[in-house]
Amino acid sequence: MPDDGAPLTESAGGTRDVAEVSVHELTELRDLLFGAERRQLDELRRRLDTAELTPEELAEKLPQAIVQRSARDRQLGIALAPTVENAIRESVRRNPREMATAIFPVLGPAIRKAIAETMSGLVNTINRAIEHSLSPQGIRWRIESWRTGVPFAQIVMRHALVYRVEQVLLVHAETGLLLAHVPDGSLGDADLVSSMLTAIGDFVNDSFEPKKTGELRAFAAGDLTVLVETGPRANIAAVVRGTPPDSLPAKLQSTIETIHLEWCDPLTAFNGDAAAFTTTRPLLEDCVETVLATDTRAKSAGLRRFAWVIPVLLLLAGGLAWRTARANRQWSAALARLDTEPGIAVIRSERSDGKWRITGMRDPLAVNPSVLMASRGVDTNEVVAHWEPYVSTEPALLLARARHVLAPPGGITLSLKGDTLVASGRAPAFWIIRADGLAPALAGVGAVDLSHVTPGLPAIMEPIAAEIESQRTLFAAGSDALDQRAVSSIATVAAKLRELVKAADANRYDLTIQVVGRADPTGTEKDNLALSRRRAAVVRDRLVSLGINASRLSIDASGSGDPIPADASAERARLNRSASFTIRAQPSLNANVAERQR
Amino acid sequence: MIQKKVCMVGVFATGKTSLVQRFVHSLFSTKYHSTVGVKIDRKQVQVGTEQVNLLLWDIEGRTADQEIPESYLKGAHAVFYVADGTRRETIDQLFSLRDHVRSAAGDVPSIVALNKHDLKDQWIVTPADTAKLITGGFHALTTSAKSGEGVEDAFRWLATATLTAPPTPTVQPPVRHGN
Repeated sequence: MPDDGAPLTESAGGTRDVAEVSVHELTELRDLLFGAERRQLDELRRRLDTAELTPEELAEKLPQAIVQRSARDRQLGIALAPTVENAIRESVRRNPREMATAIFPVLGPAIRKAIAETMSGLVNTINRAIEHSLSPQGIRWRIESWRTGVPFAQIVMRHALVYRVEQVLLVHAETGLLLAHVPDGSLGDADLVSSMLTAIGDFVNDSFEPKKTGELRAFAAGDLTVLVETGPRANIAAVVRGTPPDSLPAKLQSTIETIHLEWCDPLTAFNGDAAAFTTTRPLLEDCVETVLATDTRAKSAGLRRFAWVIPVLLLLAGGLAWRTARANRQWSAALARLDTEPGIAVIRSERSDGKWRITGMRDPLAVNPSVLMASRGVDTNEVVAHWEPYVSTEPALLLARARHVLAPPGGITLSLKGDTLVASGRAPAFWIIRADGLAPALAGVGAVDLSHVTPGLPAIMEPIAAEIESQRTLFAAGSDALDQRAVSSIATVAAKLRELVKAADANRYDLTIQVVGRADPTGTEKDNLALSRRRAAVVRDRLVSLGINASRLSIDASGSGDPIPADASAERARLNRSASFTIRAQPSLNANVAERQR
Repeated sequence: MIQKKVCMVGVFATGKTSLVQRFVHSLFSTKYHSTVGVKIDRKQVQVGTEQVNLLLWDIEGRTADQEIPESYLKGAHAVFYVADGTRRETIDQLFSLRDHVRSAAGDVPSIVALNKHDLKDQWIVTPADTAKLITGGFHALTTSAKSGEGVEDAFRWLATATLTAPPTPTVQPPVRHGN
């Protein structure tokens, strides 16, 4: 504004205040007149200077830009893909937990679905196999196959085929040219079919929906159906024999969508060369499938779903049969065992009403049959038994009855020799008299031999005597030396002996103690006899030294000929490297008669 | 292997179908003409080392006032016109036919077979007619269904032309209505 500037400069030569006021007013005036335009100019200049987006501006525009570009084409996705892939890879590398947490909600259902599908496929396969091999229908088909000479698989197909996707064609939408088809070589004129399909589609569109470009989705001829799913640049057609399911179009639709996504560029640039589409074949092959009636037939689908029950039932039946066989075996074994058991005689056994029934005779002293059967694995709840009581004369039962009736004291053993009941040991006189009278009355007992019974002791002496007789003075192998324990055991015996002697005197009994030496079976019997005698002598001498009257003591040597019984051979050997004590007591001559009478 | 879509068009009764019948692989019968209005055959042509499969869309011959469905024409890589060399109107109508085809398929290589050349005494095509066709953008040649004259040449020219022609301007996919 040079015109405005000139007078200003001149007036500046006047008063300074006036000049300043004028400048100020002028600036104000300028702002009023051109303020808005100036600010716009400044903003434009600033933008031109920077010439690129500021982060603030970018942040403002970015979301909208992404939306617009995504709607236009796939370039944004393509451009971002490597970056996103890298970002994910890096994230997983740095902190896998974050990514795992993020995809967890997706992963679970996906895995469950995959497992469920696998299981359902497996069950279907089993069902199909069972149905084809076991059902009357399956057998009928086998017979038909055998009769006609047609392979079984073909017979199944003929009868059970619900649908089979035989061909899948990928067709260029605009030209009708064939891009790919599966299975390979199955359709020699696939290119002609492809074009003709397109022509027919066009014909239908033009004829019935002019200008509406609705698509021909399916047409049928006989048992063949052609399903077509269209896309903007390519169509997919499936030639189906039988009745296609409702799910098939959806599958085709998703396939054609995938192909549009993955093969976008080759589809756009297609000019007759289909080489780029050979890689779509795996996708197309996914659509080729054969479904037999056994997979989908609704009529008996409920039952078929449970075809797996058949093998389970077979297994159960097998298990039951095995159990029954085992129970039978156990029962037979238990019966055989019962038959050999003394005092039990089985007369009849049978199986009826789900129970074992057994009838027989049983000596009251025989073992309890229920316990015996239970010990053989028989469930006694399943057994109904009826036992008639009887008296058995078998030796074991005879002895049992003798014990029951005679009630022999602890020192007496009963045995049978033929029909003679033999008692041995020491017993009170009254028992000897009673046994002598009772035993011959026992069924099966012909005679009683009481010659081996020595008269017993009065009640006060008996426990002391029993205690002394239970004592063993043990020796080391091959030795007759007394060790510490032997000495202490002899001291115990000596103390008890003094007590017993006192009691015997009080009861007017004559008392002698026999020390019996023994040896284990090692070595010759001659040596053993000598050793056992030395052992008895050593013990006797020791007792004498402890104040026992030598006249009451006698010694005997058994060698290894009359061993003390024990289960284990080592224990038997140890027990028999010993000396033991036998008390012999009888009433004094003048008291003998009185005692016997008592 | 390259595939190309070739549309065969011509006015009614120009002998179009019988012209190629002996030279192509047919799967479909001629009754498609009267039903769908198009019959598709294949012709294999070797061009150098390249084998070209021409998918021939033999579109039903129409009378002059009937238009060929655009949907059959779309995406064509070349057009095979057939005219009857004994009927002038079939030649005259070629130009209007071509305009219609161009609107649907774009400016693609075009050949005119002046057919029935075996009928010498009825032949009416003059060199002027031929020149007019050539200046109109057609490749023209004489053919005979009876003798087979010119047919293989026509296919060879078409195959070569589709390979060397610039790519057809991409026709936009049909806009979906009613969705």
